[in-house]
Amino acid sequence: MVYEVFARKSRGEPLRHIGNVNAPDDQLARVYAYTTYDEEKWFDMWVVPRDRMIQVFNRGDAEPSAPAQKRAERGEAAATQGA
Amino acid sequence: METPLPEAVRTGVRDLVLVLADSKRLLGMRYAEWMLGAPELEASIACSSMAQDEWGHARLLYALLRDFGEDVSHIEHGREAHEYYNIELLDRAAGSWPDLVALNALVDTALTIQLEALRESAYAPVRQRVGKLLEEERFHGAHAAAWVSRFARSSARARDAMAGALQRILPDVLRWFGPDSPSVSLVPAGIVDAEGSALRVRLAERVAPLFEAVGLTAAVTEPDFTGFDEARRRTSRSGPDPDTLARIRGDKNRVFLMD
Repeated sequence: MVYEVFARKSRGEPLRHIGNVNAPDDQLARVYAYTTYDEEKWFDMWVVPRDRMIQVFNRGDAEPSAPAQKRAERGEAAATQGA
Repeated sequence: METPLPEAVRTGVRDLVLVLADSKRLLGMRYAEWMLGAPELEASIACSSMAQDEWGHARLLYALLRDFGEDVSHIEHGREAHEYYNIELLDRAAGSWPDLVALNALVDTALTIQLEALRESAYAPVRQRVGKLLEEERFHGAHAAAWVSRFARSSARARDAMAGALQRILPDVLRWFGPDSPSVSLVPAGIVDAEGSALRVRLAERVAPLFEAVGLTAAVTEPDFTGFDEARRRTSRSGPDPDTLARIRGDKNRVFLMD
């Protein structure tokens, strides 16, 4: 199972995605995340199974997400959306 | 300024530092041997990480021996096998992954429990460093526990292999803490807060969940101290096997040793 790993350098900073680990269970996922990403001094670190992450939307989806749909209705090309 | 230690206690502290340093040096090597060939890439990375921790700790502990008039370069590169003070379970490589996990679960934890007994030590150089060492050990026990519980949930064969590996080495790990009334006790001088059976009980309590997971109990029995060398904490008069010795001393790199 793939677990996504998140961490931050200090309290109050947003969590950022730092990588992922393969692990058969939560217990080993914690250990592997720590031993794989312990080179830097993190304030805290989290793992979450990739299949438990719920997508809200994705601008690259084949099926347009709500904001992309609205832009499409206004006649804007997907390629000009910018960042 | 702290009061100087009596000579017998000083020797006892020196021996204890060397026991910990040599054991960590060897344990790091045993972990490193699985940086290739562990059951999964993440386990190899974990072994690499734990090896680095142990080697860092060994180096720090060897450096403390300067206080005792030791030549640290000789200690690291010039000793014969019978002069090593490592726990004898580390004399040779772990033969299988369950054997490595058992060393991780019991030997690594025994070293941690010995360090914890030094937290409030009257010997300041150790007391000042022990917190950092223990902090870096946090995930070693978690790695062992996670693997034992994975074996426990696996096939009966895998669980039995894990149970066998734990059961085989437990007596030697328990004996390593030494007799209850050692010839030189380090408790009255406040070097350690406990020794002997008190530490055996701490270890047994710490690893009880692992033993239960594979259908065993971590029983504390009175060890057989016949032939036990209290300074080296071993019964075997020899030391690391020849291949291990050549590698930890860096025999192949002797020509590159610099002052």
